[in-house]
Amino acid sequence: MTHRRLWTDRIVLACVILMAWEMVGRLRGAYWISSPTLVLERIWTLVLNGDLWFHGRFTIGEALGGFLLGAIPGCAVAMALRRHPFSRAAFVGVAAIGYAIPKTALVPLFILWLGVGPGAKVALVGAAIFFIVFYSTLDGVDAVDQKLVLSARVFGATESQLLRHVVWPAVIPYVFGGLRVAVPYAIAGAIVGEIISSNRGLGYLAQYGATDFDTTLVFVSLVTVMFIVLSVSAALSRIQKRLLRWQTNPSQDARTVGA
Amino acid sequence: MKRDIPEAAMADVVLQLRQLGISYGPRTADERHWILRDLDLSVREGEFVTVMGSSGAGKSTLLNLVAQTLQPSAGQIAFRGEVVGGADMRPNPGSSRQIGYVTQDDNLLPWRTVWDNVMFPLTLAGKPSPLEVDRARHLIDRVGLSQWTQHFPHQLSGGMRKRASLARTLAYNPPVVLMDEPFGALDAETRAQLQSDLLALWASEKKTILFVTHDINEAIALGDRIIVLSGSPGRIVLERRIDIDRPRDPELIFKAPTFAGHYDAVRDCLRSACQP
Repeated sequence: MTHRRLWTDRIVLACVILMAWEMVGRLRGAYWISSPTLVLERIWTLVLNGDLWFHGRFTIGEALGGFLLGAIPGCAVAMALRRHPFSRAAFVGVAAIGYAIPKTALVPLFILWLGVGPGAKVALVGAAIFFIVFYSTLDGVDAVDQKLVLSARVFGATESQLLRHVVWPAVIPYVFGGLRVAVPYAIAGAIVGEIISSNRGLGYLAQYGATDFDTTLVFVSLVTVMFIVLSVSAALSRIQKRLLRWQTNPSQDARTVGA
Repeated sequence: MKRDIPEAAMADVVLQLRQLGISYGPRTADERHWILRDLDLSVREGEFVTVMGSSGAGKSTLLNLVAQTLQPSAGQIAFRGEVVGGADMRPNPGSSRQIGYVTQDDNLLPWRTVWDNVMFPLTLAGKPSPLEVDRARHLIDRVGLSQWTQHFPHQLSGGMRKRASLARTLAYNPPVVLMDEPFGALDAETRAQLQSDLLALWASEKKTILFVTHDINEAIALGDRIIVLSGSPGRIVLERRIDIDRPRDPELIFKAPTFAGHYDAVRDCLRSACQP
């Protein structure tokens, strides 16, 4: 299938869905499901009066903060455990328990500790992202070709040179696989936190719209979130393609599972 | 076992294997399965030793032991008289930076271009000197990859990757080079070319080479000495000095008067006519 054909098909399908939505909205009344034109109009007014940016920047900030708070330690811990099989076995066993806890169930605790401000949302996002990135990096560390490691050691590579020139480049695809899976979770964590308790952010906006029977506002929030997730994923995918030029075919790589 | 070289005559020994063995399985020595056992070998400075043997005789294992990527279960490895590895020592490959290893797999780093792969061992020791850069460029040229320096390994054919791997090891210029069937996957033309190049390099740079091959012609054309490994556990079952004058032409080696004698001796031994 050609690239062009792919995109015309996608656009046509999206138009059909939007038109169906618009038609149902006009025929049955927009009270319950709003309509694309209403949503666009509202987005426009909210962009003009600055409300969308006001709420959006809180959500993006919380998601980004939590993303870094989870991804960096997740990656670092997995890399650090590479040469320590005993600590690794212990840590992986305990991490399985942490992974099993539904992160949303931790929200009351985070609010208790950190208050209703952005802190609790950042913690929630961080807790969710940590495990995703940790496990994917660990997979990468396990998959490093030992023959490459040995041959580099024969050349006289020190431990830090091995890490930098042999292990890390081999792990990058796995880290990216994890990051790409993590993006929607980061935004979702921030939104859920805001829905539970907040007076700002896109989650708050959706919650406020729903209690006010303002369906259009709920959809405005959803569309904005969708837009954020898609653009961040696209940006990550571009960076990944650049970094992984050396791979035979990065797009079909099993390492980007679920991305 | 046939030996035609007196041990004592080797004053300038660079590499010495003493009673070297490797095994796996139960703890007691008699019950263990030995891959190589009681291996004694002395390689002189600048000597070209070719290693032959039936498949599974432990040729690659021998090189891995010398490169210290495997831990021996018995014996010692000495480099210029100093014990660097053995059953009671932690293997520390690359500690001396004296040994280059052209493995059977090319082991090129897939995220580096041909040029960056060739430069990799050099950059590990610091910033390469202009002389070293020139040398690397010259070697890449010599293995016929000058058009391909900016390509990644997955863009090259198997033979080209092999040649890149060869250039990488020679560029880093270690005094002892281990080679595991480096020319096995190449076409006859390229192989003959690389064999001559290797001999020229070896002669001009006085390298010590331990070269595994399954091709008797190659073993005779290149080596000062052929050793044949055989049996289970693997031992040296034949050691034969090749007295053909140098410089040699690997393609026309069969014209040498003593060639037939060497060929028959090695072939007979490989056909396990020669038991330990």
